[in-house]
Amino acid sequence: MKNTYLITGIAIISILSVIALLAPWISPYDPAMIAQDSLLIPPSAKHWMGTDSLGRDLLSRIIYGCRISLIIGVIAVGIAVFLGVILGSLSGFYGRFMDTLIMRFADIMLCFPTFFLILAVVAFLEPSIINIMVIIGLTSWMGPARLIRSEILSLKEREFIQAEKAIGASSARIIMRHLIPNAIGPVLVNATLGIAGAILLETGLSFLGLGVQPPIPSWGNILIEAKSTLGIAWWITVFPGLAILVTILGFNFIAEGLKKIIG
Amino acid sequence: MGNLLEIKNLKVEFHLDERVITAVDGAYLNIKENEVVVLAGESGSGKTITALSICKILPRNAHIVWGVINLAGREMLCLNENELIKIRGKDIAYIFQEPVSFLNPVYTIGEQIIEVIKLHQGKNKKEAYEETIDLLKKVRIWEAKRVFQSYPHQLSGGLNQRAFIAMSLACNPKLLIADEPTTSLDVTIEKEILDLLLELKNKLKFSLLFITHNLSIAQKIADRIFIMYKGRVVEEADSQELFKSAKHFHTQELLSAYERIGRI
Amino acid sequence: MILNVIRISKYFPIEQGIFRREAGMLKALDEVSFSVAEFTTLGIVGESGSGKTTLAKIILDLIPATTGEIFFSEDFIRNFRKDTQIIFQNPYNSLNPKMRIFDIICEPMIIHKIVDRKHIRDKVVNLLETVGLSGDILTRYPHEFSGGQRQRICIARALASEPKFIVLDEPISSLDLTVQAKLLDLFIELKQKFNLTYIFISHNLGVIKYISDAVIVMQNGRIIERGKVGDIFNQPSEQYTKKLLEAAR
Repeated sequence: MKNTYLITGIAIISILSVIALLAPWISPYDPAMIAQDSLLIPPSAKHWMGTDSLGRDLLSRIIYGCRISLIIGVIAVGIAVFLGVILGSLSGFYGRFMDTLIMRFADIMLCFPTFFLILAVVAFLEPSIINIMVIIGLTSWMGPARLIRSEILSLKEREFIQAEKAIGASSARIIMRHLIPNAIGPVLVNATLGIAGAILLETGLSFLGLGVQPPIPSWGNILIEAKSTLGIAWWITVFPGLAILVTILGFNFIAEGLKKIIG
Repeated sequence: MGNLLEIKNLKVEFHLDERVITAVDGAYLNIKENEVVVLAGESGSGKTITALSICKILPRNAHIVWGVINLAGREMLCLNENELIKIRGKDIAYIFQEPVSFLNPVYTIGEQIIEVIKLHQGKNKKEAYEETIDLLKKVRIWEAKRVFQSYPHQLSGGLNQRAFIAMSLACNPKLLIADEPTTSLDVTIEKEILDLLLELKNKLKFSLLFITHNLSIAQKIADRIFIMYKGRVVEEADSQELFKSAKHFHTQELLSAYERIGRI
Repeated sequence: MILNVIRISKYFPIEQGIFRREAGMLKALDEVSFSVAEFTTLGIVGESGSGKTTLAKIILDLIPATTGEIFFSEDFIRNFRKDTQIIFQNPYNSLNPKMRIFDIICEPMIIHKIVDRKHIRDKVVNLLETVGLSGDILTRYPHEFSGGQRQRICIARALASEPKFIVLDEPISSLDLTVQAKLLDLFIELKQKFNLTYIFISHNLGVIKYISDAVIVMQNGRIIERGKVGDIFNQPSEQYTKKLLEAAR
């Protein structure tokens, strides 16, 4: 069976990951190097994607930005999935009081629009890469938790879980070895979409100046500058925009492909 | 008497992603008028697929490769979809193992039977209503009016199966195909349904093709029995004869298992 | 007697309306009492909804009873989870689809520390051969097997903890007749080989007659009739039992 979505998605994301890993070696210039003699140069043989108003090479900045985006996306979602899987399986497996407690807490969290919740938190904390990752992670575990809970609720009644109880397996063993491996599928699909979401969130935050702080380049803060030069330097808007688009598309393709395999 | 239905050399394949599976491989079958024929076999022997081929209501990935299916002089495999639709429900009716999943949950039993009657007989609403109540009484549902107004999920498995039988008999079919209609029911209900089917058969004069894995049912109702094994019909015999002297090894195997645990 | 079941009842609340108001109680089991003797097979027969499966789960403490008590003889059952096992009706549902056959059968041995690591493989192969499967399927997954083979894998897993008492809950109902006969013979052979005690639950009177020593007939959560297998099948005293036998003949 050919799974074009999955193959395309994985191809895109692996290329981006290689670029991110090899950033120091493949980027043609230092992304922070300011050159007074080459301000706002359009794409050319020397600067493939042109330069910005401080004369920094845009290609190099996008390559380093890729690193930041992927790291933030993956780690933030990693935190969310980790929390979600633990809370969701406790909630689904034990039910009753535990379930009520965890799920009502999730409902409360879901009442706040994530973006404004993050804005509020960032306003108090220092905006740094680590803070951003942790905050995104802490505010998006509810989706995975609900998914895994509903999977476990139905798996729990299956006979192989009953058989496992009859064998004498402890609750921890049943959850870790039998329930989670069978329930994780939909969560993985959700998580890949989540990475795309987290990257967009980071871009948005950085664009508002509350995310990754200059001089560290991120796709969001490159776009801040694009705002003021939109009329005279199209490349500063187009290339970071394309980079975001391709990345999001890549993760969405993977999610779509995984959905096919699981469903 | 001539054959009402005759199937010769039927071959049906399933096209999966990369493989082709032959589900039925040269099966044959014939049913005379007003006869009860049991098609017996274990799961995967191709008995259901053979029955579904008669009206071409196969799953989408199944293909009839070759064969002859003749119903009362008509070549079924040569008919197009529109002609088949006229035959389905009218000349041939099916009943299945899980009637609930073949009944529409959002309509009452009565509405569904009326629908069939209006579709095939062109009667008006009042006539159709009376005929429906009549049918429900015919399948020995005493509270016909209550069942008429009930939704499928409100009724027991046995009642649903009776209602489904009533619906399939709405157009006086010549052939009733029953695919394991009692498998999901309790033994006491099973007996009632079997008795009902035989009684209706004698009263309404149709032929019954009964598909089952259960030899004790076969023994109770069959005039003739066809045994299927791995897509082929391996034995055909009169009911009494089969239980006395089975020839094919698979039939013998089935019978010895039946002698030990199927019988009390 | 190795097992005494004393007046076990199980009620399920019936909830109605949007507020999940309790509208009444469904009596799945109503004051059921019986006992099982060592090395015998007790057959429990009844139609759907008679409470057979609920009873099986309560005996093995998989769900709690509403009232009543269950006693296992202490000389016989020392480690409850190790010495008792259950085999379910649907072999398609009772094996973890994500685990290899080897890991599935190992599970009880690891939990109860039955054999040391070095001999675990030999033991698993041995068990598979005991239930009539080949020993070279260790790295395969449940979906590669037919219903009958999967049920054999379930039996191997149940035997892995070296149990003394097994509840067989409709263990062959979903299988073909020829497979049913083979598995029944396997159950009888294993019972003699490992000195097992069985509770065998079925709706099929023929099967119950073939395997049981004593029989209990259940209807709507109650025991209607009980006795030795010969008595129940030859001279049933209750109307319901007669009706069941009549329908199955």
